Amino acid sequence: MTAAITSIVSISHQDSFGKQNIWEILTPLGNQSEVIAPDYKTYIPPASLRRFSPVLRMALTAAQVCQNETSVPFDSISVGTSLGCLKDTERFLQTFITATGDTLSPTAFIQSTHNTIAGAISMALGNHSYNMTHTQNSLSFETALIDGLLCVQEGKKNVLVGAADEAIEFLDVLKPHVIQSTVPFTSGATFLSLQPDTAGNGKKVIDCAVHFNNTNTEEAITTFLKKNQIDANAIELVLFAGEIPTTIGIKQINYEQYTGLYYSSAAFACHLANDYALAEGKYVLIVNHQVNSKLGLTLIK
Amino acid sequence: MSELKENLKAQIIEQLSLEDLTPADIKDDAPLFGDEGLGLDSIDALEFIVLLESNYGIKIADPSQGREIFHSVNSLAAFIESNQ
Repeated sequence: MTAAITSIVSISHQDSFGKQNIWEILTPLGNQSEVIAPDYKTYIPPASLRRFSPVLRMALTAAQVCQNETSVPFDSISVGTSLGCLKDTERFLQTFITATGDTLSPTAFIQSTHNTIAGAISMALGNHSYNMTHTQNSLSFETALIDGLLCVQEGKKNVLVGAADEAIEFLDVLKPHVIQSTVPFTSGATFLSLQPDTAGNGKKVIDCAVHFNNTNTEEAITTFLKKNQIDANAIELVLFAGEIPTTIGIKQINYEQYTGLYYSSAAFACHLANDYALAEGKYVLIVNHQVNSKLGLTLIK
Repeated sequence: MSELKENLKAQIIEQLSLEDLTPADIKDDAPLFGDEGLGLDSIDALEFIVLLESNYGIKIADPSQGREIFHSVNSLAAFIESNQ
């Protein structure tokens, strides 16, 4: 399932947009950080921009830059989002309470669905190829990535994969009921283009796996590495979220200190892996264990 | 009438998220739709229907009237005055 990463773009609470190496700009987030956004008007026509919520703006801009860097139209678009367009969903639901007439504002309704993101990217790029949205809680990015890898495997030449999620204040109210985490909710979007693995020097996604009923993380990692015929000693860096066994990898970094908490932040970890200076023959393993029962494993070389 | 037009302009800006505009940028007689005016589109027309109903309690009985009613701030204001 190997594919080469030919471009990768992140808009996040870090100053990551347009950076050659995002490791150079990383700072641990405080409790009150905001998205560091580019000038969206450069990438999205004003007539569309006025309607788009922050998550759509982030996703469209990141996807647009990936397309600009790739030049060949995408053969497929796969987007992972756990909670979708929350601001528009909240706005739409709010109108149920406050609306005085029989009619409701159409814009928030149209843009409140999860697949708005992938659809809006398709329309913005004028792309009529395969278009899929994956909503799998904390494994939304990984399932989109597996989709993209399968697209490459079946012969597609240029595949867009990405993830986007946004925070709203109400998430803080829900937090004690949905996740045990001290990390504050944040927003972010990361998009990458994948192409068939050629002899290039760039990073490659070697494999990705998801476990929706994970009970033994260490065993799952061992099985994953064995499947890919990789010795645990070849793992130079482990990027993780949530609790993981402590014995794997030469170096371990909790990526949530840089991303904050959003359920598709493993995509940003993918960007970190892409920009990491790996020794010859070594690998980065992304272990997404944000939610206890769910485990995402992504191997980058 | 002029107060109604000023209110309408502010409501249009808010309802349609025209964040770069102020009421002064919208001329009373300028077309709201198409390239010559504000460049609004069919989704905005639906937003106008919601705006008229929620802010003024007016329902448009015949949708084919929309093109005429939504032509400009002047036509919108005239329609509201004659239906309130």
